[in-house]
Amino acid sequence: MWATNLKILGVVLGTLALYTLIANKIPQVQSEVPRALTLGADVTPEQLAQAGEQVFTGIGGCTTCHGLGTRAPNLLTDEKGQGPIGARCGKREPGKDCKAYLHEALTQPGAFVVPGYEPIMPDMTRTLSPQQIWAVIAYLESQGGTITVSASDVPASTTSTTSTTSGGGIAGGSSDPMAIVHAAGCVGCHKIGTEGAAVGPDLTHVGARLAAAGIREAILLPDAKVTKGFEKFAGIMPKTFGDQLSANQLEALVRFLAARK
Amino acid sequence: MIDAVHLLQAATDSLPAYRDFPVIGSRAAVWIAAEIHLMFAAFVLGVPMFAVVAEAIGIFGKDQRYDRLAKEFTRLLLIAYSATAIWGAVLTFLLATLYPKFFAYLTAIFGVSMWIYVSIFFFESFTLYLYYYGWDRWKYGRAKVGHWALGILLNVWGTLVMFIADSWLTYMMTPPRDVTPDTAPGSIKLWHAILNHTWMPINIHRLIGNVVFGGAIVGAYASYRFLASKTDEERAHYDWMGYVGNFIAISALIVLPFAGYWLGREIYQYDQSMGITMMGGFMSWLWVIQAFLIAVLFLTGNYYLWVGMGRIPGAERFRPYTKWLLAVLVLGAIVWGTPHTMIADSRELAAMGGSHHPFLGALGVMSAKNTAVNLMILTTFLSFLLYRRANIRPVVPWARTGTLIQGGMFGVAAAIVLFFGIRGYFVEAIVRIGYSVYQVGAVLACIIFVTVIDVLMARGAQSLGAIQWGKMPPRSQYALFILAVTFTWLMGLMGFARSGIRQHWHVWQVLQDTTKYAATPALGQAAIMISVCVLIFLSLVGFIFWLGGLAEKSTFVAAGKETEHVGH
Repeated sequence: MWATNLKILGVVLGTLALYTLIANKIPQVQSEVPRALTLGADVTPEQLAQAGEQVFTGIGGCTTCHGLGTRAPNLLTDEKGQGPIGARCGKREPGKDCKAYLHEALTQPGAFVVPGYEPIMPDMTRTLSPQQIWAVIAYLESQGGTITVSASDVPASTTSTTSTTSGGGIAGGSSDPMAIVHAAGCVGCHKIGTEGAAVGPDLTHVGARLAAAGIREAILLPDAKVTKGFEKFAGIMPKTFGDQLSANQLEALVRFLAARK
Repeated sequence: MIDAVHLLQAATDSLPAYRDFPVIGSRAAVWIAAEIHLMFAAFVLGVPMFAVVAEAIGIFGKDQRYDRLAKEFTRLLLIAYSATAIWGAVLTFLLATLYPKFFAYLTAIFGVSMWIYVSIFFFESFTLYLYYYGWDRWKYGRAKVGHWALGILLNVWGTLVMFIADSWLTYMMTPPRDVTPDTAPGSIKLWHAILNHTWMPINIHRLIGNVVFGGAIVGAYASYRFLASKTDEERAHYDWMGYVGNFIAISALIVLPFAGYWLGREIYQYDQSMGITMMGGFMSWLWVIQAFLIAVLFLTGNYYLWVGMGRIPGAERFRPYTKWLLAVLVLGAIVWGTPHTMIADSRELAAMGGSHHPFLGALGVMSAKNTAVNLMILTTFLSFLLYRRANIRPVVPWARTGTLIQGGMFGVAAAIVLFFGIRGYFVEAIVRIGYSVYQVGAVLACIIFVTVIDVLMARGAQSLGAIQWGKMPPRSQYALFILAVTFTWLMGLMGFARSGIRQHWHVWQVLQDTTKYAATPALGQAAIMISVCVLIFLSLVGFIFWLGGLAEKSTFVAAGKETEHVGH
């Protein structure tokens, strides 16, 4: 029986060793805790690009859509023979060099949408600090191109993981609902009248299906209830409007939308 | 009252957030305790399900062998039960001492459910004692049916206990959307926290997974007893028991992926970024390992059946088909294991020529993988059907037509699976996901209708000879060990996937892990932890089974002594 016991032990240990070995032979990727970004005044382009890579693959959440599937253009690889993003970014929009184009793409994503894709890119100023945005631009430029971002582009402020807006709210504190709609980038995803895209639910007659409380909830907690038919876009709408809008602006926007019946 | 609250608050404020565990660290300590507790829990929740079914077959089918099999299952359960409780206590104490603030957070929300959990556990324990120790006392007539009802009650308690514990861990993964880092845990309604996005999918997934796991461990136990047997009767009994364990494990395994799809879908609907982290982020390689393990399970399970056909008179008719079944299984495993959305750096992406391999990338998408796994399930079912048919010759006048209809059903199911697999390449992702339902539906319908026809066709069938239980080569028994180790390892791996997608959060986007262990380890390190847990678990199980053997002689009954066993 000892021989049988040893054989059983051999089978068990051999099987465990095989699985452990295979799991150790494949590429090892550890999920790191996102760190705050600290950029000094003497930061080099290479350091910026390095920091940008961390943001790109980490807190920025860029890989959620870029490079993994067909939701958005692949940025790190060739696309349609034009090379990675650093090689093609200067040719995207007439009159805009690479740096200006990438800055616009990150801060005003609705301004230019690459043909063939839906306008689902969120305004990254809501989740990233200006330093982080410039770091990402440097990283993207480094992908097949030359880094033109320098320390002088990066604002003086140093450490941050998320951006903040002025205390008066967005759109300079205006309580004009359409000014808020434009400044907050709502039309990047929602249609209101003749304006906007069809990524999120059409808000033209939103007051007919949602009461003021429901609209307020949808702005502050966008994932609390996902409109039927838009489940695949759940999680895309920023959850930061509660911090960005002043109380006056929020109520003005809610009243404006609730009246659209 | 207010003073008491202030005192409690002061006590909470002065509580350290974390403590460390010597040598291996707090994360590894909790990981080991949780994993081993879960493995024992899966065993003690899975085994009663098929013990009660075996007892019912014994009662209503008037086959005493099943009744004694059920009793032997329950005997294993009895000893494993205390191990489950011990590891549960270890886990609780480790959480309370190493992660005191996080534990306090959970108790603030789930305290009442924890009291209910303990109460049900108490009832469950005593129901189990009554069930086992009353076996011979309540053996006949109404008393026997009453005893069987105790078995059902045992399952009810077990399921409730699991559902409660699942609510705690699913809350950590998918807390209700209105819960934020600023939400006071005491203000969260208990039922609201329980009814989170992944609670029911995890419940169902675990319910089925426990049956698979229990079957595999029982199979390993039987194979050990088979190899240690000294008489032909004993060998025959444990050969049969091993077959039943393997049959239960593989049958339930076939249904498990469907529950897995549901769980995955709920995770995506809750938070796309969490779903993408799981399938296309840093965990993407995990699914390649999972595919390899599933391939081992399918191949080993089928191999056991094919070897088993050697002890069935008449089975040689079907032997030529084995190589084709093997070919489909191997091809399916290769497709299922093809990587697709792997996390890669820019140099790797450039070397590959894009985010996906230009040729293999096409095989790595879900359309191809779903097609492959559904064909593997159909092939395994066909293996089982041939095994079932091996020693009988149907005599019903419509036997030939019935066989042709069965063949046609296999053909139609395979065609539907292939059609939607290919069409999936030409439609949007959201449409493609829906196609998996048609593929699964076709396979399940085929399994159900073909089985019904087979059962009807086997009525009064001519026997080509009884199965020669016990006449199995030892290699078949080692296959059962590989199955048990693989199922256990797979369970550890999937546990890592489920828990790891929270990354550096105790409660996803609500309560952050700020220990030095917050980073989620790479697969290599996780694999070492899983192997350690599996080794500890199997060593303890081996010891428990040895103790069981010391305490009581086997209750086996020689095959063929009661009724000639033609079928299975």
